[in-house]
Amino acid sequence: MSATTAESAPSDPPKFDLIWVGRLIALVAGVLLVLYPILSDNLYYQNMIILSLVFAIAASGLSIITGLAGYVSLGQGAFIGLGGYTVGVLSTHHPDTNVWLWMPLAGVVAGGVALILGFVALRARGPSFVIITVAFLFLVQVIAINWRSLSGGTEGLSLPIPTWDPDIANWPFYYSLVGILVLQLLLAWWIRRTKLGTGLVAIREDETKAATIGINLPVEKMIGFVASAVLVGVGGGVYGYYLTFIDPRGMFNILLSVETMLALLVGGKATLWGPVLGAFIVEPLNEYANNNLGGGNTRLLLFGGLLVLIVLFLPQGVLPAIESLLNWLRTRGRAGLVGARIGTGGSLASLTERLSLVDREAASDPPPLLEVTDLRKAFGGLKAVDGASLVVPEGSITGLIGPNGSGKTTLFNLIDNTIHADGGQIRLAGERIDGLSSWARAHRGLGRTYQITRLFREMTVLENVVAAQRSFSWGQLGRIAVSGSEAKAAEELLEYVGMRAFRDQQARALSFGQQKLVELAQVLMLDPQLILLDEPAGGINPVLIDRMSEMIRELNSYGKTFLIVEHNMPFVLGLCDPVHVLGRGRTMASGTPAEIQKDPAVVDAYLGDDFVLEAAEAGQPNDVPQKASQT
Amino acid sequence: MTELVQTLVLSLLVGGIYALVASGLTLIFGVMRVINIAHGAFLILGAFITYTLWDQLGLDPLVGVLVTTPVVFGLGWLIYRLLVRPIRHAPMSSTVLLTFGLALVTEGVMGEIWGNDSTSIRPSYVDQSFHLGGVFLPKAQVYGGLLAVVVLVALWLILTKTWLGRAIRAAAANPASAELVGIKVTSVAALVFGLGLAAAGAGGAITGVLYPFLPGSHYLWIARLLAIVVLGGLGSLEGAVLSALVFGIAETVTAVYVSPAWATAVPYAIVFFVLLIRPQGLLGTRLRDDAVTA
Repeated sequence: MSATTAESAPSDPPKFDLIWVGRLIALVAGVLLVLYPILSDNLYYQNMIILSLVFAIAASGLSIITGLAGYVSLGQGAFIGLGGYTVGVLSTHHPDTNVWLWMPLAGVVAGGVALILGFVALRARGPSFVIITVAFLFLVQVIAINWRSLSGGTEGLSLPIPTWDPDIANWPFYYSLVGILVLQLLLAWWIRRTKLGTGLVAIREDETKAATIGINLPVEKMIGFVASAVLVGVGGGVYGYYLTFIDPRGMFNILLSVETMLALLVGGKATLWGPVLGAFIVEPLNEYANNNLGGGNTRLLLFGGLLVLIVLFLPQGVLPAIESLLNWLRTRGRAGLVGARIGTGGSLASLTERLSLVDREAASDPPPLLEVTDLRKAFGGLKAVDGASLVVPEGSITGLIGPNGSGKTTLFNLIDNTIHADGGQIRLAGERIDGLSSWARAHRGLGRTYQITRLFREMTVLENVVAAQRSFSWGQLGRIAVSGSEAKAAEELLEYVGMRAFRDQQARALSFGQQKLVELAQVLMLDPQLILLDEPAGGINPVLIDRMSEMIRELNSYGKTFLIVEHNMPFVLGLCDPVHVLGRGRTMASGTPAEIQKDPAVVDAYLGDDFVLEAAEAGQPNDVPQKASQT
Repeated sequence: MTELVQTLVLSLLVGGIYALVASGLTLIFGVMRVINIAHGAFLILGAFITYTLWDQLGLDPLVGVLVTTPVVFGLGWLIYRLLVRPIRHAPMSSTVLLTFGLALVTEGVMGEIWGNDSTSIRPSYVDQSFHLGGVFLPKAQVYGGLLAVVVLVALWLILTKTWLGRAIRAAAANPASAELVGIKVTSVAALVFGLGLAAAGAGGAITGVLYPFLPGSHYLWIARLLAIVVLGGLGSLEGAVLSALVFGIAETVTAVYVSPAWATAVPYAIVFFVLLIRPQGLLGTRLRDDAVTA
């Protein structure tokens, strides 16, 4: 980390100081928080801080699933309620047991129920998911009202009165909540730095794409949901004990969820400290509205109004707004790095020891690496892919051409399961992979880039590359992604494609060509056997096109097999052998570039009868203007 | 048998009212991909406005529809211009949060104006019934249900027979292309938001006569409405009407023949499980989000 910051240092030296200013503020606030009950016995403010702590814990939990993974939940309050009810029910049924012993169980119950919500998130996303979380909250509330034997129904439950010295009555609640908040923040901080964290952010940015770079969606989302709820459940348990009386209307009130969401939004969704800051802004406001402005309707106006204002005017939250303001002040008047030249790149051999040259002379007739047989996909009545079959020999650079709408990209989408095929077989290295999920296909050695690049826009270039997961293991999820060996491997690949200087830039700031290069590095991070490139030369400048074909050749000499969709005929015909031609969803011809150019059906359907390509035959793809008219 | 016939007829009348309100919600979603969580709140607002007209001026609540509908339409038009349009490019979850905030504000405002107690509108005919071969049909239900059907048909005609309707459908299918052929998508969207809310307002005027209401009732209504549109498939008008009828029957039958204590859980359970099993709803088609052509 330190070595690389030194390299990129000229662009942002003051950032270092700002981090320390922030840390100092957090430290002072933390010390004041710990000392407050000792210094003052003002119960009004102690109560306010205790409630703020509960919401800080809930909002920090929410930041994992909403901030990182992008699943907006209005059901987070349910976990406070579930924690409270777990402790309430157990302590009223076992009056002789110390109430504090039930707190861990509150976490277990909350985590268990979160698993159910996570299961829902396997199928529904976006607004459907928000609706489900609200329905989930009300459903839990209705159950708590109607399951009278367990919950006491609408009359609620009275918990045992605390037995300790009334002079320090609030201390145990106060300090255990501080402790839970610390644990919650550590958890959120740790997750953000791991492969799990980058996986969750990738899911937020583009879930379908995330699956194709090996991210196991169900497992990561499940972990995310449980992690966002367990400590909130424990906090809810302490909260219930603190209240000493709980009822369904209070504990499963939608306003608890709204307040948690507000705390998160006000502070900053994807930040570590934002939820804490937000909770300590929103809860005191809530107290003020309750005590000085009449409560009830005023509270609704306050929460509703704040929600509207935040969504409209400060969608990113306070902390990110401050950060971007400081960034703007610092970089004002300077040219951005994004306009800088792309690096010339290096040869793979000098960069990494992970690859070795492949001797391909030995096998004169290579076995097929990818075998697609009779693949089918219809969108309504339109048969986009209609019995396509093709073979990609191991070690080849295979081309796939065809007129617009002939099904090339759909075929790619079927091969990596971005879209489910209706029928047909796909074999990778002899093994059937149709029926496998996108990430399982990625783990078996399939990598894929997109015609219109699909980088994770809000992630940095480096994060985009480390997000790829070339295999699945529980241990790997916990590996730190942002530094160490993962980051080093990613930097090697960025160096190779010439994008290392941009490692800390956000992907959305890059030009299209730069994004193509980063997407290639991202796919290489999977260490795939077969790389599907969707128009690698589309929309980029000629110099970059040359570099692209150079890289493809070099990667090929290190054993990577390619299947390339491309309309740039000199590029395809100079690089690929064999070439498949797709027309109306089927393979209409296959052969060497020379054979394809002479095939009357291909000339008729795609190339046009005035198609002449001297350059490809001469081996200098870009010297002669191309002609690829369609008739 | 008579009881069953009576239950079915009543539930179809209720279903017609549900269909009217739900079609507003699904229309808004279909055209601008906004899930209007405040829909239930505007229904209750329609009921309160009707209540004031009836209470202060003695205006018949069902005639009051002629006043509440334009008022709520105007509110919807304003809300779209001021609040929804600025974030039309934000993720859909943002508009859910926005309209949720709007629902809370509306609830608070109604609480300040009309109080948080249960309110009912009781015109003279509220206790009278039609008798048809042993079947008792309360007049309020019959008038309300028929009025809902009339408004719904009017809405349907606007959408299918007029230039505005074609413009709305064009804007829903492809806003950019609609703009290119001369449709002012912003104006159309504001009209649609107004129309959608007006349907809720009209529904509020009608249901205000049938059931007592208070500001907090909007949670129950939005749950019910979401259950209906989700069941029918978000954005599908036919689906919403169909599932509103099904829902009306299911709810009334449950209330008559099963315990009403768990009946409140029905809409939540429907939303939860339908979205779980079939995220696109019954008639909705899954969006093809990866429509890149090569």
